[in-house]
Amino acid sequence: MMKGRIPGLFLAVAGIAIGIEATTFDVNFMTDPIGPKALPYLTALTLAVAGLHAAVRPPPHVTWPPRAVVWKLTGAGAAFFLYAISLGFLGFFVSTTLVVAALSHLYGAAPQRGLPTATLLSTVLWLLFVQLLDLPLPIGQLWMR
Amino acid sequence: MDALSQLGGGFAIALQPLNLGLAFAGVFVGTVVGMLPGIGPINAIAILIPVTFAMGLPPESALILLVGIYYGSQYGNSISTILLNVPGTASAVVTAIDGYALTKAGRGGPALAMSAVASFVGGTFSIFALVLFAPVLSRWAIRFGPAEYFALMIFAFSALSSFSGASMIRGLAATAFGLWLATVGLDPNSAIPRYTFGQIELLDGMDFVVVTIGLFAVSEVFYLLEETGRGQAFGASYGKVMITLAEFRHTSWTMVRGSVLGFLVGVLPGAGGTIASFLAYSTEQRIAGPEGRFGQGDLRGVAAPESANNAAANGAMIPLLTLGVPGSGTTAVLLGALLGLGVTPGPMLIQEEPAIFWGLAASMYVGNVFLLLLNLPMVGIFVKALTLPRWFLIPGVAALAFVAVYAVNGSAFDLVLMTLFGVVGYLMRKMDFPIAPVVLGLVLGPLMERNLRRAMALSGGEWSVLFDSGIAITLWGLALASLLVPGILRRAAAGRTRV
Repeated sequence: MMKGRIPGLFLAVAGIAIGIEATTFDVNFMTDPIGPKALPYLTALTLAVAGLHAAVRPPPHVTWPPRAVVWKLTGAGAAFFLYAISLGFLGFFVSTTLVVAALSHLYGAAPQRGLPTATLLSTVLWLLFVQLLDLPLPIGQLWMR
Repeated sequence: MDALSQLGGGFAIALQPLNLGLAFAGVFVGTVVGMLPGIGPINAIAILIPVTFAMGLPPESALILLVGIYYGSQYGNSISTILLNVPGTASAVVTAIDGYALTKAGRGGPALAMSAVASFVGGTFSIFALVLFAPVLSRWAIRFGPAEYFALMIFAFSALSSFSGASMIRGLAATAFGLWLATVGLDPNSAIPRYTFGQIELLDGMDFVVVTIGLFAVSEVFYLLEETGRGQAFGASYGKVMITLAEFRHTSWTMVRGSVLGFLVGVLPGAGGTIASFLAYSTEQRIAGPEGRFGQGDLRGVAAPESANNAAANGAMIPLLTLGVPGSGTTAVLLGALLGLGVTPGPMLIQEEPAIFWGLAASMYVGNVFLLLLNLPMVGIFVKALTLPRWFLIPGVAALAFVAVYAVNGSAFDLVLMTLFGVVGYLMRKMDFPIAPVVLGLVLGPLMERNLRRAMALSGGEWSVLFDSGIAITLWGLALASLLVPGILRRAAAGRTRV
């Protein structure tokens, strides 16, 4: 039962932290009577009250995924982070191919199907966005040397 | 007469080859994303916003495309609802009752045709009403001062918090989270940084495209991992996609009533298509009485919610365009797009930017005709798309999300932020927090703060200014009512079942 109360408690603590941080928003010259603190205070109060309420009355049942799915979720999250980190170095084409292949694997595709599909998809996206729509996507430092 | 000539000018814009093409592309993409799992109109619009900016489209053309996705998705939504019993959004849940019953009886084709025709009736009626009422409302809205705007936004927030999920409190928490995100960055009045955690990238604030794609698209990629085993198997035959003249006549009043009801509900913030379709369905059920076959495959059970949710979607454009205050997550994203295009919606929009308002309205007529033409003969092609495997579809959505988010600022930091919001969105879904209010809070937050501070500056710091006019008091009353009424109704319903 305690588990269900955690998000509410987290929100309440976050609300309080947001409120405390807002006390530091001091301005030497006020251009308006209420200044930059009013909206943060309002949101802090709402979050804290709603969080406490959610902690007292947690949602009836939260079904967490089984362990195998948790691993998949971790894998997907890691793939997204690695994509963000590697994009500048490996470039759009390689990074996207790798991450799409990884995700399609997590979604149950065999590598011999996932990898060619991912390569094709990255190629199509590159042609569409860079060649056709002039959207600048990174080429990758690795290939510029 | 004036409105007619203005609308004529609108058609001159909407019928330009580029705009015709964009309207077609918009409704086509809308149909597809409304139908497929994991994308949805809000993601499609958020993903395409940076693309339209990069293409340098004129604002009215960009809007024609984005709004086409918005109302087109209402059509597509019903395809998966009727054939697979998988409603993409809450507004299609009622359509599933009779729509899927018809499919099981081998009459999926007529149900699809009914849905397309009803959507067309609802769409066309509500665009007509939009053209009629939007100018009236905007003339009236000129009297809105900052205090009235502040109250209106409070109403929008409380209505969406109240209607978007099971619990009003969790809706409010989601709204507050969005409002807090809106305060991140340099305060526009005093230029002091707020909640930037020392990150230079955050000084400009949170970009709503990054947040929206994270909360909706990326969290969906995570969320659907839980059901990778389940495929979209569809093999049933659904018959010819058409309805007879007798069936059309039999359902025509249902569609008219659904359209009127849907439009009226759609104009109100928060409620939108979900409540409109529920109300239309239950109204028709009551009118039909014992001779209706509602629940077992009555065509009126498809006609009512489909005309209503399309009318509601277009009705929701009225507060967005004339007041600049959206009432749902998707219209909030459209507001973000408008602001990004340098267009400030509000009472002056129709006068100052007639090309945008009338061009958009005319293109919505054209788009609805496209949708009818697309949906009757081409349903077979769309149905084929339903059989695309998830392992192809969902990673593809992720790749599009990467492109769109990177295109916003050309920064990898935004990709990290997007991933973080994906995790947050996943946790919010698991714990039954609605996501749409976060987007509304983020997009409206700066406007709300500006109006609050302006109102206070005008009154010299006197808080009573917020409750000084009849309009403001009415809006505060509506805000309070939207928070309290659902709870009271729920309690009343619970009491009735107990007796």
